[in-house]
Amino acid sequence: MTWTLFELLLQASLMTILVSAVSILAGLAIAIVLSAMRMSGNAALKGFAVVFISFFRGVPLLVQLLLIFNLLPSLGITLPSLATALIGLSLCTAAYQAENLRGGFEGVAPGLIESAEMAGFTRAQSFFWIRTPIALRMTFPALVNEAILILKASSLVSVVGLIELTKMAQNLAASTYQPLPIFASAGLIYLAINVVVAFLGRRAERALPGLPSA
Amino acid sequence: MKRKLLAALAGVALSLSAVLPVQAQDALARVMEAGVLKVGTETAFAPFDFVDAGTHTGLNVDVFDEIGKDMGVKIEWITLDWTGVLPGLEAGRFDMVAGPATITAERMKRYRFSSPIAEATVALLVGANSDIAKPEDISGKPVGAGTGTAQLAQLKAFSESLDTPASEIREYVSFNEAYADLAAGRIEAVANSLPNIAFVASQRPEVFKVVTPAFGTPTYFGYPGRIEDEYASLMDKIDEILLKMRADGRMEKLQQKWFGTTFDMPEKVTEPAI
Repeated sequence: MTWTLFELLLQASLMTILVSAVSILAGLAIAIVLSAMRMSGNAALKGFAVVFISFFRGVPLLVQLLLIFNLLPSLGITLPSLATALIGLSLCTAAYQAENLRGGFEGVAPGLIESAEMAGFTRAQSFFWIRTPIALRMTFPALVNEAILILKASSLVSVVGLIELTKMAQNLAASTYQPLPIFASAGLIYLAINVVVAFLGRRAERALPGLPSA
Repeated sequence: MKRKLLAALAGVALSLSAVLPVQAQDALARVMEAGVLKVGTETAFAPFDFVDAGTHTGLNVDVFDEIGKDMGVKIEWITLDWTGVLPGLEAGRFDMVAGPATITAERMKRYRFSSPIAEATVALLVGANSDIAKPEDISGKPVGAGTGTAQLAQLKAFSESLDTPASEIREYVSFNEAYADLAAGRIEAVANSLPNIAFVASQRPEVFKVVTPAFGTPTYFGYPGRIEDEYASLMDKIDEILLKMRADGRMEKLQQKWFGTTFDMPEKVTEPAI
């Protein structure tokens, strides 16, 4: 195991971090919209959210990526590797995050929502300014957890042609025939990234305002 | 609600099947017009395709460089995990695959193979200090190969033909895991195509050695392409260039460079032995 090999692993881990970070944030935005749809009175919106969530939670991510990469071109949509990976990971994590958030939204004290209505908030205003921040605050630990899961799941994007940490490790193991030191190093890099994510998560949680009691 | 959902799904499936048969343009004309030949492969298959100090290299890179020069087009590599390679070919993500894959009768029903580029006959890789001197010595010993491969099928057939078969035949996700288990001493031999294991042994001679002669039926590696009519012109062109490379000695030089040996190969495999 030479320094050059380790450096290649570190470089590849940047791709892992990039796709995971973008997907987590994009997934969070989509998840908020999905939650709104899920809780809406409109049957079509609600139905869409339910089907979306069951599809992206129910179909393995590997299969989703293969479908986006290889089935969409027959419909005239040919996405490059990076776009496929970002879309696949974002939609998948959005489905999980939407369910996490639902727990948060349901936990918002009804008194708070009623107070907001009394104060003249519209339903939409109350959703974005009262319920969403509280739901996000309540489900923040679950978000950090999801970030860690996605970081590890991102190893699947090599199936659409991106070289991330796991794929680079496989490539190097296959050309040097020294699988043990290489996979051990890759494992250490994943661990290091996730320890940092968990640490930042705890710091952020402490910095966030506490929950209103009602 | 459920019935509506089913109806909607059926509708989607129908419209998909209606859209699928597109692209009737001649593949060679399209490639020449674009000036780019797109080639899909995976990069964990030394010495055909692998990553050396971060750069994609191997026999395939050299061969396709020559093909690109002869055709006057640029080669664009799309490197994927093997799981994604054949689906990508069928979805038209790239024009052909540099795999390469062992040419078998079963696979020829679905893909058009190029003229052979290397022998794929199966032989054994063993530990450097192993007492296995000929293929028959695997009798009663644990051995392994990659799961779902043509090499595994041949190993099984060979083992059954012995008076005492191998004690166990382990199947691995890829050959790289099998080599690792061999190095760790959990199995006594790995069966894989001669060019691959010869390369493994040359990279780590202190750990591995090759047992000759090869025990398998003579088979060959070819590049898989599409079997549809509009791809025939492109695959004909590739065959023409590969045969030209054999005639002018370029192929021999590349085989020498990457395998340390050259192979006698038929110009075209029409009736594979397996």
